[in-house]
Amino acid sequence: MKSFAKSAITVVLDRLAEQTRTYVPMRDGVTSNFSPWSERRASDLALNSLNTTFSPKGIVFPQTERLYDFAVDGQRADISGTHAETGENILFGARACDRKAFAALDQVFLRRGYVDTNYKARRDGLTVIGRDCLQPGPFCFCDSMGVDPMGADGADVLLHETTEEFGWEPLTEKGQALTLRLNDLLTEKELIRPESAGCRLEVNVAGLPEKLRGMFDSPVWDELSTFCMNCGVCTYICPVCHCFDIQVMNNGSSGCRFRCWDSCMYPEYNLMAGGHNPREGKRDRFRNRFLHKLEFFQERYGSFGCSGCGRCLVTCPHSLNMVLVINRLGEVKVDAS
Amino acid sequence: MGDLTPEVQRIAGNLLSQGQVDLVLGWAKAPSNGQSVPACIRQAEQAGRLIFDQYCIHNLATGLLDHRDSSERIGIFVKGCDSRGIVRLAEDGQFPRERLYIVGICCPGMKDQAACDRAASGLFGETAGDSELAGKCRQCAHPNPVIYDELLGDQQPPFLNDVRFSDVQRIEAMGIGERGEFFSQIFSKCIRCYACRNICVACNCRQCIFDETRPQWVGRSTSAADNMMYHAFRAMHVAGRCVECGECERVCPAGLPLMLLNRKLIKDIDQLFGPYEAGLSLEEGARPPLSSYRVEDPDPFVR
Amino acid sequence: MPPDCTCQNPLVPSIVKVVEIVDETYDIKNFYVATDQGIPFEVLPGQLCMVSLLPVGEGMFSVTWQAEDHLQFAIRRVGLLTDALHEIEIGQELGIRGPYGNGFPVRQCEGKNMLFIGGGIGLAPLRSFIKHCFRRRKRYGQIQVLYGARSVADLCFKQELSVEWPAQPETRIFTTIDRPEADWDGKVAFVPAYLEELAPDPENTVAVVCGPPIMITLALKSLQKLGFKDDQVITTLEGRMKCGIGKCGRCNIGSEYICLDGPVFDLAHLRHLPPEW
Repeated sequence: MKSFAKSAITVVLDRLAEQTRTYVPMRDGVTSNFSPWSERRASDLALNSLNTTFSPKGIVFPQTERLYDFAVDGQRADISGTHAETGENILFGARACDRKAFAALDQVFLRRGYVDTNYKARRDGLTVIGRDCLQPGPFCFCDSMGVDPMGADGADVLLHETTEEFGWEPLTEKGQALTLRLNDLLTEKELIRPESAGCRLEVNVAGLPEKLRGMFDSPVWDELSTFCMNCGVCTYICPVCHCFDIQVMNNGSSGCRFRCWDSCMYPEYNLMAGGHNPREGKRDRFRNRFLHKLEFFQERYGSFGCSGCGRCLVTCPHSLNMVLVINRLGEVKVDAS
Repeated sequence: MGDLTPEVQRIAGNLLSQGQVDLVLGWAKAPSNGQSVPACIRQAEQAGRLIFDQYCIHNLATGLLDHRDSSERIGIFVKGCDSRGIVRLAEDGQFPRERLYIVGICCPGMKDQAACDRAASGLFGETAGDSELAGKCRQCAHPNPVIYDELLGDQQPPFLNDVRFSDVQRIEAMGIGERGEFFSQIFSKCIRCYACRNICVACNCRQCIFDETRPQWVGRSTSAADNMMYHAFRAMHVAGRCVECGECERVCPAGLPLMLLNRKLIKDIDQLFGPYEAGLSLEEGARPPLSSYRVEDPDPFVR
Repeated sequence: MPPDCTCQNPLVPSIVKVVEIVDETYDIKNFYVATDQGIPFEVLPGQLCMVSLLPVGEGMFSVTWQAEDHLQFAIRRVGLLTDALHEIEIGQELGIRGPYGNGFPVRQCEGKNMLFIGGGIGLAPLRSFIKHCFRRRKRYGQIQVLYGARSVADLCFKQELSVEWPAQPETRIFTTIDRPEADWDGKVAFVPAYLEELAPDPENTVAVVCGPPIMITLALKSLQKLGFKDDQVITTLEGRMKCGIGKCGRCNIGSEYICLDGPVFDLAHLRHLPPEW
């Protein structure tokens, strides 16, 4: 298998970044994120970290993204400068959970009728270099959500990690193209691919979507949401959450319309002009979020809206999270009638 | 500190069985992973669920806001900082003292489970080892409850392991431009999840200016200007009312040092209108300095 | 299913001009919009369009009629955007994108008796279907319209309700207001109660309901009481919408999006979804 020594990582990244912006896991103070590689930030490179604090979804779905510009003059209105970034990017070192999340975002933005132009432009231009996940952390539960931590799904190239080397396995045309670019840095070598230790944390989601169909009115939602503060942490750090708002930046006679991440936890998310709010209470919003991920997403797109990355487990201010919710939902007895 | 859990369970059980309160807010262990989490119980038989350990870091006082429109009587367990939160709510007219039975716990200092978890999970975060005091406790001057009906544990010394406001002095040493750059840099990383606002006991407005749409005062984009606007507004809004519980900083997913701005304002208000520390005692008619006016108030900043 | 539109960014509007504004009530205006070439695109009765007034904002409105050369949107003044819309004058340019959603099942209803039940501004989407039926009068059976508003001043499309529609063959129009008024000698009743009193025959009839959420809920119950089966009742829902294309998340009812899978649902279908509307 083609491979390069781990010690040569900066050379490889330099080569990739020479032509294409290359997102790698980087430390940023006390957090981490996928950020564009540059030699001068080499000390922040965090390839040994498990998951980044923030997911890479922002690369294909930025938190704030300009859609188009406009100008008004009296009664006249002009729309110009539609923005859809068509540039190429590389995502280096994406684990199976984050790639699974991309697959879920693809379902939302590219299927079911409409194709989201902005998302598609970014997604088409992205080459994903995945990596094996040998040691899932104590809060990882991807395999319970149907993700293989060593799987190749969603990767254009898969990196196989050994003690000293990264094996380089191109899987798609995009991956082959990168292989050509790195050819002189790759050497052919016999690599023994270690096994993944697997996830220690397990949840049981068998039959859950079906069960949830009968649980909309369950008092368990009141119980679970008691200490939810309706902040947006879980939705913003979640690699699958995709809700957005469309807003105007107005400089008087001109401006732009942009979209930005929104959270179903916020009261004004569903608030209609005139004051009606179909999900007025925090119980309603909490329930909708978890049903969306565990039932509705499954019904609509055939997979869960959760990739088991574990970010919400270490970020929710009151330790409400996917695992706690799934476990509690599993305990509830539902009347078969 | 001895294990207070049996005491906590006994008191909660008695309060409920004797009908002194309708519900009790405390902490319990999450069955899924054994984390200490906020808990609300309504039956004496559930009292056995409650615990108190070094991970009961959450300020439960903010949770009272969910009950402000009911008439239920509530038993609540509070640490030093949480008790100041109760004074905050009462002073702001948001929750009457009379509906509460307050069980104070002299706080031995808490550990931040989430920060430990982040470190253990391989996600970056504070590398607070198991033995370390949570970030928010390191500047704590009042670990003992300031208001209570019953007190548990032994009086604790302040944890301030540094000169008070040493971090603020660092900011004050900067020039105006440098300071602006410093805070822009910090707030540029804000993801506007509003966790800091929602967890804040001083953020008790029913309709928050940041949720207002007619007019929309602050844009929803995560731009430098909108982020700065959000944090500056919020800091000024809680100025003189912040009880230094540090919850905003604890819950920030971006790890922003949010208490820095708050502490700068605490220091200024103390010097200009003080001596003053918010939420240390509940007195009839008392108002935070920025909510009251005296002719002799200094105004050197008005030019 | 909407077309796969990859050619043009579905979130970017095109420009139309307001060619006429009709005051329907003190807080409802009917805006006629068109491009120089006529209608910006074909819209089916019951479909939605995202209308934007720059720089104020963008909102989803159901088309209240597609005429030969323009689209009509009857818009009630309820918020920031609609306040601003009520201030504009003829000649104003607006952004428009769409059409969105499924629209009414106009073909499947052919050969049926039609019972339209509307409340307040809820008549706006129904009107597109009602006028569609009148244009093809022979294809539909008896047509009944039951329409209610809070007061006489709140009744919209008065000319059509009182003159044009009653003159159509085999057509009956029932109008009611919520509270008695001095110069109103018509019916005073809430829509669901009036409906039960009129007791229309469910035989070969399709009921189409639109109005405020509480009216819809009660009217659906009344229809059930009258013997209408779930598949004979259709309604059109509203929700807060931003994208219109089933991506932004907020208008979901269970696993369906009002903007994409709705806004028109039959009751049989709606019963499988959570009651969150």
